[in-house]
Order: sequence, then C-alpha cells, then structure tokens
Amino acid sequence: MIAFEPKIIAFLCNWCSYECADSVGRAQKEYPSILRIVRVMCSGRIDPQFIIEAFRRGAAGVLILGCHPGDCHYKEGNYQAMKKYTLLKKVLLQFGIDKDRFRLDWVSAKETDKFIKIVSEMVEKVKQLGPIIPPQPSMNPSVSLPGGQQAGPFTKGGIKGGR
Amino acid sequence: MEDEKIRIGVYICECGPNIKEAINIEEVVKFARGLENVVLTKSFNLLCSEEGKKLIEDDIKQHNLTNIVLATCSPKEHEITFRKVLNNAGLNPFFLQIANIREQCAWVIKDKASATQKAKAMIAAAVKRVAFHEPLEIKEIPYQSDILVVGAGVAGISAALTLAQKNRKVYLVEKLPFIGGKVARYEKIFPTLECASCVLDPILDEVLHNEQIELLTLSEVIDVLGFYGNFIVKVKKKARFVDSKTCIGCGACFEVCPIKVKNEYNEGLDDRKAIYIPYAGALPNVAVIDRKNCLQFHGKKCNACQNACPFSSIHYEEDQIQELNVGAIILATGFDVFDPKKVFQYGHGEIKNVFTSLEFERLLSSTGPTGGKILLKSGQPPKRLALIHCVGSRTKEYNEYCSGVCCMYSLKFAHMVKEQLTDTLITEFHSDLCLPGRTAQGFFNTLSDKKEVYFVQVKNIDSIDLTQKGGKVLVKYEDSNGTIKSSTFDLVVLSVAIEAIKDAREVAITFGISQDKDGFFLEEHTSISPVSTSVGGIFIAGCAHGPKDIQSAVAEGQAAAGKILSKLIPGEKFLLEPITTEVDEDLCSGCKTCISLCPYKAITYDQEKKVVSINEILCRGCGICVATCPSATIKARNFTDKQIVAELIGLLEV
Repeated sequence: MIAFEPKIIAFLCNWCSYECADSVGRAQKEYPSILRIVRVMCSGRIDPQFIIEAFRRGAAGVLILGCHPGDCHYKEGNYQAMKKYTLLKKVLLQFGIDKDRFRLDWVSAKETDKFIKIVSEMVEKVKQLGPIIPPQPSMNPSVSLPGGQQAGPFTKGGIKGGR
Repeated sequence: MEDEKIRIGVYICECGPNIKEAINIEEVVKFARGLENVVLTKSFNLLCSEEGKKLIEDDIKQHNLTNIVLATCSPKEHEITFRKVLNNAGLNPFFLQIANIREQCAWVIKDKASATQKAKAMIAAAVKRVAFHEPLEIKEIPYQSDILVVGAGVAGISAALTLAQKNRKVYLVEKLPFIGGKVARYEKIFPTLECASCVLDPILDEVLHNEQIELLTLSEVIDVLGFYGNFIVKVKKKARFVDSKTCIGCGACFEVCPIKVKNEYNEGLDDRKAIYIPYAGALPNVAVIDRKNCLQFHGKKCNACQNACPFSSIHYEEDQIQELNVGAIILATGFDVFDPKKVFQYGHGEIKNVFTSLEFERLLSSTGPTGGKILLKSGQPPKRLALIHCVGSRTKEYNEYCSGVCCMYSLKFAHMVKEQLTDTLITEFHSDLCLPGRTAQGFFNTLSDKKEVYFVQVKNIDSIDLTQKGGKVLVKYEDSNGTIKSSTFDLVVLSVAIEAIKDAREVAITFGISQDKDGFFLEEHTSISPVSTSVGGIFIAGCAHGPKDIQSAVAEGQAAAGKILSKLIPGEKFLLEPITTEVDEDLCSGCKTCISLCPYKAITYDQEKKVVSINEILCRGCGICVATCPSATIKARNFTDKQIVAELIGLLEV
C-alpha cells in the first residue's frame, strides 16, 4: 500500500512567520516537504475563502501562522485572523473537515523550533486522519483562466468580485 | 490581460552548490519548460551576480518576456534587486514572482527527490500566479518637515526650540492656558539652587517670539493619522475668550470679576477669578476665561470683564478644530503627582499644615500665595518642619518605582527653608537616599553640615503615620531598628511620587503608542532608543515616559528633536508603499465594515457617492479590509485573490 502523502498549505505573514520559515532554512533545520507555503502580507489578509479553496483543491490541512498577539506588524491583523479562524473552524467542521486539519498559531521570526514543532504535529495529525474524500465533480464547476488555467467558482468572478 | 501576450521567463538559480546539490536542476528546468505561458527557462549558477542580472535583462529584451519567475533564495533577500532588473529591462518591476526554493526548499529537505518535487510545485505556483500580476506604480511624495510638539513644559520647549530652524515650523500644543509646565511654578531648581524663572523665562520668551513656533494653548490633539514623514493631526483649540494679540495682562478684568475659585496653579492654596492670570509672570501674559466658572457660560448676563477691558480684548468666540500636516510628533506631556489622599495615614487634606511637595513649591515661590514666605495656616512661620520622602514611590501598593527626584527636591526644600528660617528644625524621613550622579552627594553634604537638619532613616515609609495633635502634626514612625517613635512638627511636606498623567491612556490611544504597567509611555528600547516609540515618527521626551529631573527632560527634548532633524530634510521625498489596496467604487455597497477594521484609519466614507475610499498615503497594505469586505470590492495590490488562488492551485497540483 502506498503511504498517504498529504499536502498542507501554510499561509504565512510577511513579517514574522514567513521570516521564521526563512530562519528555519538558514539554520538548515529539516521539516516535511509536504508543507507548501503561501506568503501574504498579514494573517489578517487571509480570506476564509482561501482556506475553503485550499481544501477544495486537495489540501489535506491548512495552517495559518501569524505574529504573536501584540506583535502584529499592522497592529491588529492577527486578531482579525483569529476572529475569522474561530468562525471558519466551526463552518469547516460542519462540512466534515476535522478540527486538526485547520490550525492557527503564532511564531516570531526567531522561533524556528516552534515552527518545526507546529509543522510536524500538523503533518502527523493529518497523516493519521488520511485523505479528505474528494467532492463530486458536478459540484466543481470551473472556468478558464488566462493561459488556459482551470479555476473554480472562487476565481470566476461570480462568487467574488473582480479583484 | 490577453493570454497571447503573456510570455513568462523562468530562471532557476543554482546558488553555487546551495540549490544545485539539493535539487535536481535539470528535472526542474524540464518541468518548467512544460508550464503554461512559459517561453524561456534557464538555470544559472548565481542569478544575483552581475552576469546573472544581465542575463535576465538581456533575455527580457531579446525574447519580449512579459513576466518573470525566479526560483531562487527568499524574496526577502533579493526581491528588490530583481525588481530593479525588470525595471532596467523596461518591464514593470511587479511582473516578478519569486519561488523561494532555497530557504523554504533546498535547505530544509534532505531527500533530493522530495526537494525536487516541492521545487516544481513552487515554480508551478509562481508561474500561475505571475500571469495575474499587474503593473504597480511607486509614487513618491515629499516629507512634511513641520513638526508637532505636544506639551509646553521644559522637555517640549527644549524640543521646540531645537527644531525651530529655518524652513521648519513647529506647532507647540499645550493643554493649559499657560506654558512652562510644572517647572514654571518652582522658585529654585536643584542642584544649583538657581532661580527657576531666571533660567526658564528667557527660553519661554523665545518660544513666544520665535516665528517658527506656533503656540496653541488650551489645545489638545484629538486625532492622529499617518506615519513618519506624513501625519495628519486634528487639534481641538479651545477658545481663550481673550485676544492674545491685544491683551497686555493689565489685570483690569480680574478686579471686576465677581467669581472666586481655587487657583489650581497655586495648588488651591489661594483663590483666583474666573478670568485670570494665575500668578505674576505666568506666560503668555494674557488672561484667560475659565468657562467652567464664568457666569456668561451659565446663562447669566455678566459682562463685567468685557466692560472693564481697556483694549476690548474679550470676545466670546467658538472653539476651533485645526488640522495640521506634520512629519513627526514629540510627546512631552509631563506628569501628574501621586494623590496622598489615597493613603489615610498621611492625613493630607485632613490635618492642617500637611502639604504635598507641589503645594510646598508654591509656598516657597515669590509668585505664590504667600509671596514666598513659609507660613503656617495660622500665619506664623514653622519652627519644626518634617519632610517625608517616597510618598507613593517604592511601595508595591502604589508605585514600585523610585521617582528619582524626590530626594533631591526634598534636599532643595531643606536648603531653601534654612535660607529663610535659619533656626527652624528640619527632619527628613527617608528609607533610603537616592543621590546618584555628579552633584547630588555634594548637595546632600552641604546640607547635612548645617545645624538642626536631621536625617531619620525609617524602616519602611509606609509605617509613617500622621495625626493632628493640638494644632501640630504628630509623626509616628518605625526607625531602622524597628523601634516605634514619634515627634511633633508644625509643618509636614509629603514628597509625592511622579505618576503618569491622568489621561495617559487616552493620549496613548490617540497616538497609537504603548504604555508601561505604570501608565508611562513606552520607549522603543530602554537602552538604545530611549526617546523613540514603537510608532515611527512619534517620539517621547521628559516625564511622559517616566520620572525625570529637569536636566534629563531637557536632554530628551533635544534628543528627540535631533532624531527628527536628521531624518526629515525639507524638500526630500520618500517612496510610498506600492502594495496597498484599492476600492472598486462600482461594487462597493457602502456597508462600512472595513472602516472600523483599518489599523491606520485609511478608509473613509464618501457621503456623496455612498462608497468608501482608501487614502493611498495612509494605507500600508495589510489587506485586512480585503479579507473582510463582504462584496469583494477591495483589491490588495500584488496580493489579489486571483493571484493567491492561482498560487494555491499551483502548489496543490504538483
């Protein structure tokens, strides 16, 4: 049997957590390759629909890492992220997405060991949970993006506006 | 953007052996060549080298590349470097996306196959994302070189005078009607026992007459927007009701005013009128009407002062809101003192002739209620006088910190009492003496040599208990051996702690700065950035961020001014953040959800159009509003929904 190799999307803020991921790299500390990082300016930028989109596109787990409370580069973006996270977590549970697949935490730029600990815990839990049953293709309308890319309703401009 | 126009160039940096040894470069190049819109893929030994940069620049021109993906080190390292390369090649610098395959791939994955797989995913994501990139413009605007100083005490005034150079305007905002802060009310200053007004008045005059300084008395800052180089500040200027241009401070108005109230400038030790100058020599020498007590403001017809004024200077005008554009702000808002009424055993306000140190300053002052004569309430001079140190300081119950100046001003009091009343016995009750620095110990030594000056070390200042005893004050205390003793005095001075101003929290919120646990404003770094705050462009000086003597307050005012002078050069420009947000006015429903969430107050509601608009200068591009907008009408430049989702797709497909 082939071992389940999930993919985990991590949304990292430009100032603390993305910087922390770079620090981990500079320290050449190893963590699982299935972590795929998306940089945003602030954890407060993370639209709940990004998380839904990540799960819909096959992520087995989504991680948000922001600056510690009180340390946000934009004063309070991480609190806004926390509010959205708390609500979205409940919504995801109703869709059958286990609570361990979605995590919010805080790391400063220097907390490389904490970064690795969070990532390792997440990977382990998600591996235990196994894959999410994929949605039916009929529920998955898609449109053409520039260059023939396929995108879901999220990028269509129907659900969300033209941004 | 039309599909056929997108011509993406992908460059994979080997970074010497750093990426090359961890990732199968050949395989990644082959993979990238197969990606949509990619017309050119190359690997190179070191892209950040001059040869590497030239390679990209030449390729862009030669192959008409429209978008660039670089699989290199972290964008934190070289994003700016490579944006310049695009710019040099005639491309907008924001048609660039970096896949961080060194820090976040090659260096953290030991297994080459896994690292190669992840690198492919990262490149696929960047290629998908970059197709949605849009050109952004980096605008530049000039620095505002005008400066706002809040608080016209010694710290604020030193700052204002240091700043008021050619081409630099200083707005000096003072809450009270008169300037000079607490120091203006002192008779003498330690350690030199110089006459305070001889030292202070010339610089106060300079402030009043310096053309570069605009003094706004009776004024408070009510709103602050912006950042270092460009603040928009709203100041509420309360009406003085007396024209400062024509009033000469003759006092004709005070004489006829029927209202008498306690004079807060003399700590309530005497009375003043509802139109007043609190003491002779207060500056500016212009009367002020106290609207809380003036009959005019209580529906009564009283024009006594207006009729008496020989210069027709009294007008009942309205308050004003003034908007200022400044490049930097210095907060020198001073201090308040510990209220000894909180501690029952000090008997302040209950026992006659128990004064706080500020009250005693006024008793010693030649412009004070007694003309500088040290008199008991009975009108007699005291024969026995006690000074109690550390009232409200160095106690866990009130303030754990040492106020730092009380020992010195208590010694100053003793010096001054001895000058006036040679035979009066003075006892200083203290638990420790704080006498650091060059001059303090000498100041103490000259005093302790004098007759009838005693220093009594008590075990704990909190053990001191004052009671009234036949018109005198009985001081009970526990001496350093633990023995309970007592002694009677005619007059007792409580050396009250320096505390943060009462409205420190409101001020901190208005300016967006932090406070320490005691309410003082917090400096950026105690040792190396002592006058900066966590907010760029907002500085603190004097007792606003902790107890300080005059010398340190002045030094800090000048230091803060120096920090600003070296940064805000008139005529110089700064670059605006290009990664900001924009609103699609056609889609905005005007729900205003975003307005309250913006940490920079950059979003306002346009009453006419019924939509919000974002101030590009104030916006810092966090994108909180974007993630929150229910109608998806706000776009985060360079972090659009489309870009991020395209990146997600790329990361998950490989």
